[in-house]
Amino acid sequence: MAIAAETKEWPRRHRRLTWTRAGRGAVPYLLILPVIGVIGAVLGYPLYSLVRLSFQQYGLFELIRHAGVSVGLKNFSSVLHDQVFWHTLLRSVIFTVANVAFTIVLGTSLAMLLLRLSPWVRVLLTSGLVLVWSMPVVVAVQVWYWMTNYQNGVVNYALTQLHLGDFFHHDWYASTFSQMGMVTALIVWGALPFVVVTVYAALAQVPGELIEAAEIDGASSFRTFRDVTMPILKPVLLILTSLSILWDFGVFTQPYLLIGQAHTSPGNFLMGTYLFEQGYIKADFGRGAAISILMLFIVALLSVYYVRKMVKLGDVE
Amino acid sequence: MKARVFVAAVAAVALGVVAATASASGQHHQANKLTVWLQVDAQSGWPDVVAAANAQFAKDHPGYTVDVQYQNWGDHLQKFDATLAGGNAPDVIEMGNTEMTKYMAAGAFADISSFKGTFDNSATWLKGLAASGIYGGKLFGVPYYAGSRVVTYRTDVYNKAGIKKLPSSLAEFTADASKLAAANKSVKGFSPVYIAGTDWYFAMSFVYDFGGSIAKTHAGKWVGNLDSPQSVAGLTAFKNFFNATSKASKTSDENHPAPYDVYSQGGAGSIIGPGWFSCCVGAKFKSTTAQFVMPSHTKGQPMPGFLGGSDLAVPVTSGNKALAADWLKDFISTGSEKSLQAKGNIPNATNLLGSSVNERAAARSWFVPAAKHWVDVENGNILRNMLATILKGKLTVKQAAANASDNITLVLNGS
Repeated sequence: MAIAAETKEWPRRHRRLTWTRAGRGAVPYLLILPVIGVIGAVLGYPLYSLVRLSFQQYGLFELIRHAGVSVGLKNFSSVLHDQVFWHTLLRSVIFTVANVAFTIVLGTSLAMLLLRLSPWVRVLLTSGLVLVWSMPVVVAVQVWYWMTNYQNGVVNYALTQLHLGDFFHHDWYASTFSQMGMVTALIVWGALPFVVVTVYAALAQVPGELIEAAEIDGASSFRTFRDVTMPILKPVLLILTSLSILWDFGVFTQPYLLIGQAHTSPGNFLMGTYLFEQGYIKADFGRGAAISILMLFIVALLSVYYVRKMVKLGDVE
Repeated sequence: MKARVFVAAVAAVALGVVAATASASGQHHQANKLTVWLQVDAQSGWPDVVAAANAQFAKDHPGYTVDVQYQNWGDHLQKFDATLAGGNAPDVIEMGNTEMTKYMAAGAFADISSFKGTFDNSATWLKGLAASGIYGGKLFGVPYYAGSRVVTYRTDVYNKAGIKKLPSSLAEFTADASKLAAANKSVKGFSPVYIAGTDWYFAMSFVYDFGGSIAKTHAGKWVGNLDSPQSVAGLTAFKNFFNATSKASKTSDENHPAPYDVYSQGGAGSIIGPGWFSCCVGAKFKSTTAQFVMPSHTKGQPMPGFLGGSDLAVPVTSGNKALAADWLKDFISTGSEKSLQAKGNIPNATNLLGSSVNERAAARSWFVPAAKHWVDVENGNILRNMLATILKGKLTVKQAAANASDNITLVLNGS
């Protein structure tokens, strides 16, 4: 009631629009203009070109003449009628789910482990993680390939020496499943540091007294994790999950380099390698653009759920 | 709200996609500079030939410099496409002879027919190699060099296994391989003949040796021919030979690992590949390495080998076409070609041919179908997949060949 009364007392403002006032009002927009300009140039224009390209027949012939031929929705319909596209999509979705799940579960577990370690071991583990983080992807792929190669892979040697079986001349890249497994291992390994460090930081926000209280009340450690730690971790995990989905669905470098160009085929495409094969190797850039736009929408759909959750969490707090 | 969320998601993804696809490097044409793209083979094998051509060019054109940039086979076409789009393509580019047709058909190269007379030996160019640079009767690429495939072997290992005479038929070679295997039981993973499982260059030699082929034309259309009885017989012979001689991974290709690396580590008695493989057999085996021609299943004949080779072309975007042609003249001169020959390559003209093992192997050769879309068959790994499937025994030779053949028909006819 009091508030309502107070608002009534405010005089209604009727000020005339003058040039000075208009100028002053424009200042924030002027200030933000350079940023909008830069973003427009860096993001907007390429995106516009991509969309335009996707409606054109644009192969090597057109590339040389710098002029595409408009073909309407032909690129999209040919991609959507391509069996390979649907198989690749299904494979990529399964691949993404597996990668994201491994990354988040292992990352969170490692972060929890970090909390319970002695400072020395924690420093060691953290430095190890930072080293992983700082390794360029291409270098990591090369090292990984070197360790697992058929002729004299270190992994093959070590596993054999440990009497875990005869891994001499074991081909880790023999089947699609095995190839995907190797790529998953590499991606999860590379993605762990970011997840661990972020979750570890979030875990530091969990008040110790709450955990203590739960323990005194006789809650099991799983129960404590689920009901005390989890609600506080949730926003962070949501961000990490949605970022991981974005990264893993469109991943290209690891599968392309680890499996190798000579071994990529419709039988082991992921969306990234499929796009590269159709767009660049076959030099059908219009079709490539159509695939990348479809990918854009698919990932947007995949992440909408998570972004919505995040926004909702933000609304509550 | 929903819309906002969706836009936010799209924007976030777009950032990622654009970051992944946008990459261009600025490089502007300089009036007094000639940019040349050669493959790394020249950098590691014959840098002196390149330097000599550049020196000659600099002498004829004072004030001009030649910028030679070395490229890899794996991605040089993608880089070339990018420079064509960006308007900074080189003035001269080396192309694999199987890669030429697609680019000539798209109009990527300048017609250099009028310069033909200025090139040494242009009247006696190797027919097969020169043909890969001609499209619609016009000259778009000049032959640079060719290479056949031979057997590089360790004389000490062959002697120890009691092989007195080099094999003159496929059956003899297979029998020798089992002698080699028996004599080297102590070497773990030893391959009497190391062959990468998906080395399609070698596998197709069997197909052509048995009278088959990859594809043929019928009524103006390409038809895959790997499912013909002759081709299937060739593929079956390849499978049997591989199983009898090679311990390589069934899915490996001939670059990972390089066969000469396996050889130099003592893992192979012989390897199949270009003549210049002798470069890299390792100091330990340098003195005990020799080469012979891969024998056919018909006694006394060589098996047809893949006649690989390179052409040199002038991209249509070059602002210095006459100068580029002049550099070509220096680079494929008789002197250059003789130096290339000395390094184990086949020179580009018949009057320069000698009688090295390499050149004898080229007496019977095969080449890929001269189709515009051939390079898509190659890069789509249709043949490699077929070979891996056959060797792993997932499908019978006949089934795998039929699948690949259908696929090749589709791709070659441009769908």
